[in-house]
Amino acid sequence: MNAVEINELSVRAQSRDLVSNVTLHVEAGTWLTVIGPNGAGKTSLVETVAGLRRIAHGNISISGQPLASLNERERAKLVALVPQRPSVPNGMNVRDYVALGRTAYHGLLRAPSAGDRAIVESVLERLSLHDFRERDVATLSGGERQRMVLARALAQSTMVIVLDEPTTGLDLHHQMELLELLRQEVTDCGLTIIATLHDLTLAGQFADRLVLLDAGRVLLDGPARDVIRREELSRCYQMDLRVIEIDGSDVIVPVRGVGQ
Amino acid sequence: MLSTRPPTRRRIVTVALFCVIALIGAIVAGLGVGPTPISTTRIIGALASGVGLGHSTLTPLQSTIVWQLRAPRLVLGLVAGAMLSVAGGAYQGVFRNPLADPYLLGVASGAGLGATFSIVYVGHGLSTPSWTPLIAFAGATVAVLLTWGLGGRGLRSTASTLILAGVAISALLTSLQTYFQQQSSIGSIARVYIWLLGSLATASWSSVWMVLPYVVLCVVVCVAAGGALDVMSVGDEEARSLGLPVRKVRLVVVAASSLGTAAVVSAVGLIGFVGIIVPHILRLLVGTSYRRILPLSVVFGAAFLVLADTIARTVMAPSELPLGVVTAILGAPVFALILTVRRQLTT
Repeated sequence: MNAVEINELSVRAQSRDLVSNVTLHVEAGTWLTVIGPNGAGKTSLVETVAGLRRIAHGNISISGQPLASLNERERAKLVALVPQRPSVPNGMNVRDYVALGRTAYHGLLRAPSAGDRAIVESVLERLSLHDFRERDVATLSGGERQRMVLARALAQSTMVIVLDEPTTGLDLHHQMELLELLRQEVTDCGLTIIATLHDLTLAGQFADRLVLLDAGRVLLDGPARDVIRREELSRCYQMDLRVIEIDGSDVIVPVRGVGQ
Repeated sequence: MLSTRPPTRRRIVTVALFCVIALIGAIVAGLGVGPTPISTTRIIGALASGVGLGHSTLTPLQSTIVWQLRAPRLVLGLVAGAMLSVAGGAYQGVFRNPLADPYLLGVASGAGLGATFSIVYVGHGLSTPSWTPLIAFAGATVAVLLTWGLGGRGLRSTASTLILAGVAISALLTSLQTYFQQQSSIGSIARVYIWLLGSLATASWSSVWMVLPYVVLCVVVCVAAGGALDVMSVGDEEARSLGLPVRKVRLVVVAASSLGTAAVVSAVGLIGFVGIIVPHILRLLVGTSYRRILPLSVVFGAAFLVLADTIARTVMAPSELPLGVVTAILGAPVFALILTVRRQLTT
């Protein structure tokens, strides 16, 4: 069963095509990562799946429901977003921040219910944030902050999460930690993930399927082995890239000074 | 008491108690302090008898002073202080701008233009016509509608376009008001000037009943939107992804804040600083959640304005200081203190 169906999608801004005629079907409980150079349309694609951009042509369905027919609340119950640069308001504690993920469930005029609070506590526990729950969000390190933003998305209790460059600003250890957490959510809870990543090696190691996007169009789509190919990547990124296999995983290495 | 850590429940309860005590103190001072001082015991007795508990010990003269002169002024002060504080806090939340005040979208300039028009052309500079509040209210409402229209027509508007539109409309209406003033007599200019500085001196029960329905409705709407404003603190896009209809919430909160402020300004003139310093003081004490700031602003804002008015009418008795001058004199140093404390806490 497909959790997300994107059919002939085009997204425009100021009469320029950001995404052109993209068709992708994402199976439930799998992880799809979109890769591509800057300006390829990765962020526009995931923001459109999250309902934040207007669809110029085509359609998107989440769990069988057309995105265009949903209001904000209905949409937020189906798909959660981890933005590239999340806004972290000063003076709010971690628990209240994560509880923002329950907005769609308790309505505008009501405070979070006991059920909402229980879900928030459970997510805090799952992501090892329980000890931080009273901390001011502004005092967290980059890794803790990114885990907190992921916790907010998980608190939305959606079957689909889209993440735009979730590892931005994190060191290698925290990048791996965050991606392992996501992998665990896919394996244990059947979560469907659509993410964008700049690190091609990590993208290949964690995703079930990669999509190489260039100038808003899909160049390659398939398992990591089929997409991480030296010629296509080198052409797309306009530089010489080498693909080296280490312990069964592909590692992508740029070669200095050999531009194309 | 102050720290950058999110507030504890104990601190919130303490601040809430302080606000209630300040309100009670303001009510007793508002009714008891004046050229004819009335003791606190008698004021409390009179208030208790008003709700059917015991008997008032006020003399007939004191009773007239309390219920016909001071009480309407007190109630109008409570209502105006609550509305301006809540509107300021709500604007700061909805625009994510700590400098936002209730006059951001042109309410002040619209009301000022309406009042000036009324005094100069309806009263011919000889008096302040009785319908000046209505014309000021119309001016304020038109100003906000113009801002809303220029800023992107309702649901399509964003925070920044609305603020810029507010600046443009305010500048336009203020220049028109200046033109009307410049065309009028010295007497008119003095009357307009007095109106612009704000006062509760002309308060009556009829002005209270005129303003009260708007303020009750608008305060309820803004306070109820506190949770939505907390969600908006992460920005429009993220708030939408969390399920908040951002533009609808902005429309409702701005409409309620503007309508309530227009009603208050039409009755008491332009009283500055209340809408900025009250929410800021509370933010420093109870944290950044609008679920806490807005309800406490109702109580503390009401107390603050009545205490300021008590100072305005007693410090240079028998003459009165304009209320806007007192709130500015109190507000500027308090604001400077808030900035200093904030700077110290963040370093």
